[in-house]
Amino acid sequence: MSINSKNYFEIFSLQENFDLDLDRISAEYKNLQSQYHPDKYSDADDATRLHALQSSSIINDAFNTLKSPLRRAGYLLIINGVDPEENNQNHLTEDFLLQQMSWRDILDDATQDENLNTIELLKQEVVEEHQNCIIEFQDFANAFNFMEAKPIYNKLQFVEKMLDEINRSEEKILDY
Amino acid sequence: MALLNISEPGQSPRRKQDSKHALGIDLGTTNSLVASASEGGPFIISDSKESALLPSVVAYSNDENILVGQAALKSNEHISSVKRLMGRGAGDIKHELSYTLVESESSGMPLIETPVGLKSPVEVSAEILKVLAARGAKHFEKEVGNEEEQKEIEGVVITVPAYFDEAQRQATKDAARIADLNVLRLLSEPTAAAVAYGLDKKLEGNVIIFDLGGGTFDVSLMHLEKGVFEVLATGGDTALGGDDFDRTIMQWIKTESKIEIKQNHLAELSTCARNAKHDLSETDAVEVNFADWSGELDIGKYYQFIDPLIDRTIKACRRVLRDASMSIEDITDVVMVGGSTRSPRVQEKVQDFFKQPLLNELDPDQVVALGAAIQADILVGNKYDSDLLLLDVNPLSLGIETMGSLVEKIIPRNTTIPVSRAQEFTTFKDGQTVMSLHVLQGERELVEDCRSLAKFELRGIPPMVAGAAVIRVSFQVDADGLLSVEAEEQSSGVKSSIVVKPSFGLEEKEIESVIRASHSEAEHDRDLRRLKENEVEALRIIEATDSALAQDAELLDADELKAIQEGLISLQESLKSADADLIQQQSEALNELSVTFAARRMDSQIKSAFKGKKLEEVDR
Repeated sequence: MSINSKNYFEIFSLQENFDLDLDRISAEYKNLQSQYHPDKYSDADDATRLHALQSSSIINDAFNTLKSPLRRAGYLLIINGVDPEENNQNHLTEDFLLQQMSWRDILDDATQDENLNTIELLKQEVVEEHQNCIIEFQDFANAFNFMEAKPIYNKLQFVEKMLDEINRSEEKILDY
Repeated sequence: MALLNISEPGQSPRRKQDSKHALGIDLGTTNSLVASASEGGPFIISDSKESALLPSVVAYSNDENILVGQAALKSNEHISSVKRLMGRGAGDIKHELSYTLVESESSGMPLIETPVGLKSPVEVSAEILKVLAARGAKHFEKEVGNEEEQKEIEGVVITVPAYFDEAQRQATKDAARIADLNVLRLLSEPTAAAVAYGLDKKLEGNVIIFDLGGGTFDVSLMHLEKGVFEVLATGGDTALGGDDFDRTIMQWIKTESKIEIKQNHLAELSTCARNAKHDLSETDAVEVNFADWSGELDIGKYYQFIDPLIDRTIKACRRVLRDASMSIEDITDVVMVGGSTRSPRVQEKVQDFFKQPLLNELDPDQVVALGAAIQADILVGNKYDSDLLLLDVNPLSLGIETMGSLVEKIIPRNTTIPVSRAQEFTTFKDGQTVMSLHVLQGERELVEDCRSLAKFELRGIPPMVAGAAVIRVSFQVDADGLLSVEAEEQSSGVKSSIVVKPSFGLEEKEIESVIRASHSEAEHDRDLRRLKENEVEALRIIEATDSALAQDAELLDADELKAIQEGLISLQESLKSADADLIQQQSEALNELSVTFAARRMDSQIKSAFKGKKLEEVDR
């Protein structure tokens, strides 16, 4: 079967599982690219070169999707018939929204004061929440309960966005 | 067992007469080089005077004579460092030049005043490429000897700074077209250097390639393992190099001597500064003489001048480590590339930052060209080392303008290429039938802070209420780092696509007119050449299709087979017509018919290669 007609888990010969072995997919990624990369077909005809370009692009996207917990979670929802973006804010609890706001306040103040210690503490807290989301998502996904897994995915989206903002603040203060 | 005989590509014995001619070209800001590779390894091709470096300098004169390299340096009106103008707008050029620029009214491109009229930076670069290619051709002539076996140069790999953006890459590729060269690949300079170093020194692990040339700076963090060269993150500055070191000394001379310097003295002043810079790599103080003035520059003062520049390179190194989520302890080797890494101060600062000795055993001027030659040899099909796999990244994020002059990133920087990614957008007015798309490159959030790559429109969207149309915008970046964009309205299937031709680039018709001018041929000759080219291409396709059918016809069902056979006959018929357009049309038609066939053949070959491997393992 051609790369184009497989899903990302099939491309890497994996079960459709949230939990996966990153070292193994890294090795398989290089193996796949060494078969499909356009450089391997540079002297072939146009049609073959086009197929190599498309296949190699798909393999890259598959690898990036599987590597990232957030993207992998979203992809699992899609292939199980759940639209990850539908009403993506409706399921968030009030507690979580309040926590979000408090995180943002802490970050804004700490960024203003260039207080790296506070930012580091906040980061630890958010990373912990990130871990929790992943474990929760995994439990639902393992039970094939994707309707329940979806709100966790939406929560994870917010947590990752928060982490991005924390990193950006850090970079600003440390002059990257 | 038959399957055991499937040899890995490259393991089959290589016959000398089968090898094709390919070149690796390092088109540098101050110097350029050309290299090739054979069974013995890669090697630099020198000119008749045994000089490896070709100064990237061009001089045009009234008698239509074009001088390149050392010869051009002797001319008073030579054009240097043209690489810094590639893919830039006239307004981007901030530094002083020893020649005069005129802004092109049509494209905003900076054009250079020469005795024979205005020349674009792309055309000037093409002159350098032509001389390098001629060096290569001469070398192959000597090597083969026998005139009947002379073969043309099949293709070249040209290196570009990793941090070159879309416009700069496209400009480089255009220059190659004008020089009549078939570009197999644009390869990032640090990646090329890693290939040469990695193979020669058997490097493995997380390697920093610190590449400081005459005009550009790149730093790449790569993971090297079993022939796979994977770029993890890259950073740099396409306007930072040894030239800037010279410029600080020039500024010092100007201030100290109080001589008013006219444009025609700039070349002399720059030579004077460069010599002082070189001397300061060896001694603690130099006497500088310019016109009737003389003064002493000591190393302390010189370091004050250049330290801020070097600090910018260190900052880029920190950024790259962070992008790859690594720390200094994770780095196994630091490789120094580019002539400016000969500066003891640069070495000292880089070594201090990475806290480990630097690798600089290979000539820092040559490694990039050598790596490019290895890649060229593989791509042309000689399979110098077929296990080699280069996984490069796009250096800058690519995105699209959205409401409020914001940039929505579609492909973030440091994504492994080739890559394709799509994003859905919608209309914001009721009954909107046209959507304009503005493609941008850069890291900042506002449109005005990013580089504009192209604008195009999707027309014919069926009128719907605002927000109802679904417009899917797909980005495809190929292995050269070049982008094409397609937009499609999902419910109606209305499509619009462009291969991005960046702003400040040459228009297709301009390139063709330059090519024609350089071939100085009559219209009749041109038509003949086109017919000839189309015929050769058609024959190539016929041959490829015939052999594919002979091997794998069983992969097609009866209808598909019939369609391809009919396409073949139509193409063969068209060859009798001597009609260039018809031949091209039939060639494209047959190519189109072969897409699925090619995909199936590739997949089935890969499958059988896997099978062969597993059996070998069992045998052991």
